[in-house]
Amino acid sequence: MSTGWYLAVSAIVFAIGAGGVTTRRNPLLVLVCLELMLNAGNLAIVAFARMHGATEGHVFALVVMVVAAAEVVVGLGIVVALYRNRVAVDVDELRELHG
Amino acid sequence: MYHLSVLLWLPAAFAVLGLLVPSRTTRWVAVVGALLTLALSVVLVLDFEATGPALQHVTDATWISALGVRYELALTGLNMWLALLATVGFAFSIVWAAMTPLGVDRRAKHVFFHLGIAQSAVLGALLAQDLILFVAFFDLMLIPFFFLTAQFGNGDRVPATIKMIVYTLVGSLLMLVAAIAVGVLATPPGAEVSYNIQEIAQRGVPEGSQGWLFACFAAAFLVKMPQFPIHGWLADGYKAMPLPVLAVFSGVLSKVAVYGFLQIAIPLLPQGTADLRWVVLIIAVVSILYASTVALTTFNARMVLAYSSVAQLGFITLGVMSLRPDGAAGALLQSVNHGVAVFGAFLAVAILGHRTGSEDLRDMGGAATKAPVFAVLFVVVTYAVLAMPGTANFVGEFLILRGTWEGSAPALAIVASIGVALAAVYALRLFIRSSHNRVGPVIQPREGARWELALLAVPVLLIIALAVHPQQTVEAADQAATRSVLSAAAAVSPDRARDILADDPSAQAAAEAAQSAAGGTGAAGGAGGAGAAGGADASGAAGAETAIDPATGQPVDQTAQTEGAGR
Amino acid sequence: MSPAEAAWIVLLLPLLGAVVLGLGFRVWRGITAGIIGTAAVGLAFVFTLITLFGLLGRDEEGTRQIASSLYDYVSVGGVDVKMEILVDPLSVVMLLVVTGVSTLIHLYSIAYMRGDAGYTRFFAYLNFFVFSMLVLVLAGNFVLLIVGWGFVGAASYMLISFWYRRTSATKAGIKAFVINVVGDVGLVLGVILLLKETNSVDFLDTFHSAKETFGEDGSGSLTAALLLIMVGAFAKSAQMPLHTWLPDAMEGPTPVSSLIHAATMVTAGVYLIARLHPLMELSPTAQTVGAIIGCATLLVAGTIGLVQTDLKRVIAYSTMSQIGYMIMGVSAGAYVAGMFHLMTHAFFKALLFMAAGSLISAMAGEQNMNKMGGFRKAMPFTFLAFVIGGLALSGIPPFSGFFSKDEILAGVASEGGWHWILWGAGIFGAFLTAVYTWRMIFRAFWGPPVPEAKELEEGHLHHAAEHRNPATGEIEDTGVGFPGPEHHIAERAPAMRMAMSVLAVLAVVGGILGIPHVFTPLEHFLEPVFEEAHALHHVDTSITVLGLIVGSLAGIAGIAVAYVIWAKPTTRGEASTAISSGWQRRFAPVHRLFVNKWYFDEIIDLLIVRPVRGFGRWAHDGFERLVIGGAIVGGTTGAVRGASAVVRRLQSGYLRTYSAVVLTGAAVLVIYFLTQS
Repeated sequence: MSTGWYLAVSAIVFAIGAGGVTTRRNPLLVLVCLELMLNAGNLAIVAFARMHGATEGHVFALVVMVVAAAEVVVGLGIVVALYRNRVAVDVDELRELHG
Repeated sequence: MYHLSVLLWLPAAFAVLGLLVPSRTTRWVAVVGALLTLALSVVLVLDFEATGPALQHVTDATWISALGVRYELALTGLNMWLALLATVGFAFSIVWAAMTPLGVDRRAKHVFFHLGIAQSAVLGALLAQDLILFVAFFDLMLIPFFFLTAQFGNGDRVPATIKMIVYTLVGSLLMLVAAIAVGVLATPPGAEVSYNIQEIAQRGVPEGSQGWLFACFAAAFLVKMPQFPIHGWLADGYKAMPLPVLAVFSGVLSKVAVYGFLQIAIPLLPQGTADLRWVVLIIAVVSILYASTVALTTFNARMVLAYSSVAQLGFITLGVMSLRPDGAAGALLQSVNHGVAVFGAFLAVAILGHRTGSEDLRDMGGAATKAPVFAVLFVVVTYAVLAMPGTANFVGEFLILRGTWEGSAPALAIVASIGVALAAVYALRLFIRSSHNRVGPVIQPREGARWELALLAVPVLLIIALAVHPQQTVEAADQAATRSVLSAAAAVSPDRARDILADDPSAQAAAEAAQSAAGGTGAAGGAGGAGAAGGADASGAAGAETAIDPATGQPVDQTAQTEGAGR
Repeated sequence: MSPAEAAWIVLLLPLLGAVVLGLGFRVWRGITAGIIGTAAVGLAFVFTLITLFGLLGRDEEGTRQIASSLYDYVSVGGVDVKMEILVDPLSVVMLLVVTGVSTLIHLYSIAYMRGDAGYTRFFAYLNFFVFSMLVLVLAGNFVLLIVGWGFVGAASYMLISFWYRRTSATKAGIKAFVINVVGDVGLVLGVILLLKETNSVDFLDTFHSAKETFGEDGSGSLTAALLLIMVGAFAKSAQMPLHTWLPDAMEGPTPVSSLIHAATMVTAGVYLIARLHPLMELSPTAQTVGAIIGCATLLVAGTIGLVQTDLKRVIAYSTMSQIGYMIMGVSAGAYVAGMFHLMTHAFFKALLFMAAGSLISAMAGEQNMNKMGGFRKAMPFTFLAFVIGGLALSGIPPFSGFFSKDEILAGVASEGGWHWILWGAGIFGAFLTAVYTWRMIFRAFWGPPVPEAKELEEGHLHHAAEHRNPATGEIEDTGVGFPGPEHHIAERAPAMRMAMSVLAVLAVVGGILGIPHVFTPLEHFLEPVFEEAHALHHVDTSITVLGLIVGSLAGIAGIAVAYVIWAKPTTRGEASTAISSGWQRRFAPVHRLFVNKWYFDEIIDLLIVRPVRGFGRWAHDGFERLVIGGAIVGGTTGAVRGASAVVRRLQSGYLRTYSAVVLTGAAVLVIYFLTQS
């Protein structure tokens, strides 16, 4: 299969993820969409790595997965802490750092 | 020679030191620091040779080499007495603050810290010989006052402070832009950018741009002084500031603006000065008349002094823009005099305020009945404020009026002298309403406290000392002032420069000395390689109206400051 | 000791006195302060005599003009001012008058001011005034003259508002000071104009180069400069239209009125014009203006003096009038005559004021003549003093005023042409002078004794039950800032009698210094100073004799008229104002004009004071708040606030917005770089 198909899937998944991050109000779903974006990026990296026959791409994909995992831990921790202190968890209401 | 750096940073050092010691002793640390700085400045002033080179005690080091900004300080005839005024003023103010509740406030550390930083900034602005350094210190000196007013002021202090700071900073921002532009535009092609003032004077700024550059500088300085119509921050700002802070703000900071004109705007932008001087002159005269009339109708004692400052600075501006040595020297003398008088006046208002709990003249009256010593001291200060003949203030005014008559227009001098009569009215009115007539309804008459009278005696003694011998203050300024205005005078008309040189033989000697020094090393291609030859050409082209030195028959490169060639 | 050294000492002694008295004001008890003050000025008088003899001992040719300088006062940009004095016959004459009369007035004040809470302060101020006047007189250049001018104004202010808790006094003080400053400004501008032409502020330099610089016909700039300088002279000497401060200045204690507003300060303008005579000679216009103003003043002041009811103000207006004579004289070129009249006037006017002080004391502070009468028996010495002073003032031979006044008129007339009008006005003025002077004397001393006088005849000095401001009626106390509780009259105070006697003798015999064509030592002494003045040499004997005769007749006629109107009714048992009130009714509008002092105060108020105050109030209340505060400052800060508000909206706080911005930005960058290649 040509690499193009993988890239197309990656792009679609990335777009879905981006759309979700900017439009969803539930922080859990924002995190999920963030994961989608990351994994779409991963897919693109692996596709190119396969195309060029370079192993660095695969290694980098693993690094990205580690970072994603760490970031999810932190993000979920924040969400849980928020949930413990507030009734409704809604991204739109977390705007105290406004100008 | 490290002296000037020591002088400059000593107050800041004591400011930091004050933060580290226990709160109870902060004020004494600050007092010691202020008095040490004062002593050091006295030593430096005494050491200055009036007939020596233009710049003395030079400190020169690279600061931001990538931008061409140097850390250069020097003592000149122009800034010498103003620096002394600054150290006297801050010492006065710090001792005063130490003796009032401000000194034992739980946040006293902040008060003295800010005053120390402010003093360093003021001294820096006065001593700097590099344009960007000057602008940096000029802007820096405002910041401590922001904190002092907002935290320790009276009444509606926060909005007043914000108004004051924003207003002044807008002007300062324009100045920063202009300063950078001056440095860049003055650089001949291929040479390095330099912001050294003497260097820029030698290189010359292209004539076409001088107009808006001068306008920017003037805007910043006129807001600082302040002058009508950009004096709007005055009323609320002066009302909000605590009095010891206000004394030094009114007496010292406004003079840095005067110095800015004489040190930077006029010598570096002669054509711009010549083109725009009538705008500034009109502003000055209107300020005098407007502010004097307001001063004699307002009932707030502080406001009388505030508007009186505007009027006095109008006179000083007239002297500066007369583009004559006597006018400029008179302006410098008057700056010193006005500063000293203002210290005394604000302290007197404070003493009166302690007895009434208010600064409204309608609440006061008859203070002299139980406080004769205070009344005598206050009347001397009043005489200085109204520039009674016999005080050095009168000498300054005489020189300024003469400079205006000859250098600007006789009509202007006549109109300005109306301000003299008005000054008598508002100053005496302040004195009479507070100290004479029947004892006011709210006043608790009692003699001033010992420290109040002792502190008030300091400006009084200075006023008397200056009155007896004004010459010493003027002597060093004479040559420096002549050098400062010479090129601008030439830009207005060559006859003026000739007259100035003819009038004042010492200026002629100084100009000749400068010319021969510049001519000698200029031919050898002094600083900046091709820059010097290019600079000479550029200044020759820029200063299209360079005067012909009558003695040698050659074009006088009046803007050639020896230090530029000698570095 | 050279005359110059002696002159420096003369200058510094009163200053020393003022400093000693000022610094030790809590130390001196009783009359010690008075003695110190008097001693300081008395010593100054002694040294003045030393200066005089030193000068006399010198040969007449040119060596009697000594300039002595101590150090450089200010020297910058072509303005070179030294701390220097000029000792010549003219300044020595002034020195004699100032120190001599001051010593006598100090002596008088030792007794007069006893009991006042500000006794020491009084003498300190008085000494400072003498010092200031000496600076003025001895100044060797224009700038120092202006310094002396200013100091004198300050001293005058401090002494007029001596009783500073009286609002009337402080108002009078600031009025005097401000008008004085207006004069100062004129002086400064005039000097600047002169400086432009002559490049020197030094008197001797300016005078010596005057002819070459200005030419014979009165150049425009010289005339302008002189007119400006004369504004200063008129303000100081209370000539029209800058005279309104002098009557109000009577708020000060009587010795102050005697010293400052009769003998010394107000004569400074006369001295100035005499001093500047080399310049005046080159400008006929300036001379004409001076002569006309002097003449107008002497007439107007005379008319006002006719209707004044306040004792001191009558004498004040007479001072104004007499100085009008002096100004007229020196402006017309009769310099020696003017200085002569200055001297004799100092004697008899100081005497009159001292006597008035004694009379006012007897009235327990009341100054209104309507309440006085019949003091002849109760106060013989004071009455004699009034009579001697009055005769001298009215120009009756052989009193001093006779010789000096008529010498002026003769000098003026000898200029010829239209100057005869001035002469005529001067004669009429002499008539008026005699009328109002003797009006005052008759009203106070003739007729049935008022209650205060009766009390005094019985040996008891009247004291008011409660202390009041005589002018406004406000209640006062006798603490500091108000007059003391004691009243001193000449009959009971030896010091007062001593001072007055000396002046009385001088008023009688002072004329000996200038008996025309017979004995003129003063003229000889002053001659070298005024060498170039043409009026000095051309006074015709016939004019002099005419003047002497007509002048005395005018004076005698005036006394006679005054007797008929104010003294005679009392012999019939009526009030002394019986006849004059009829005249008042018949000439009511004219009377109103005089009583309102020709409306000068009102005109100045309307033209100057109200507009300035109005503008200030409008600026303060309206303009400052609305335009400056609102528009300009508000505008600037508003603009800054507005701009920052717009930018602030970017920081919405919404996580989504932020992330959208990040994504969009990244996308733009990627597309940009992609399309670039």
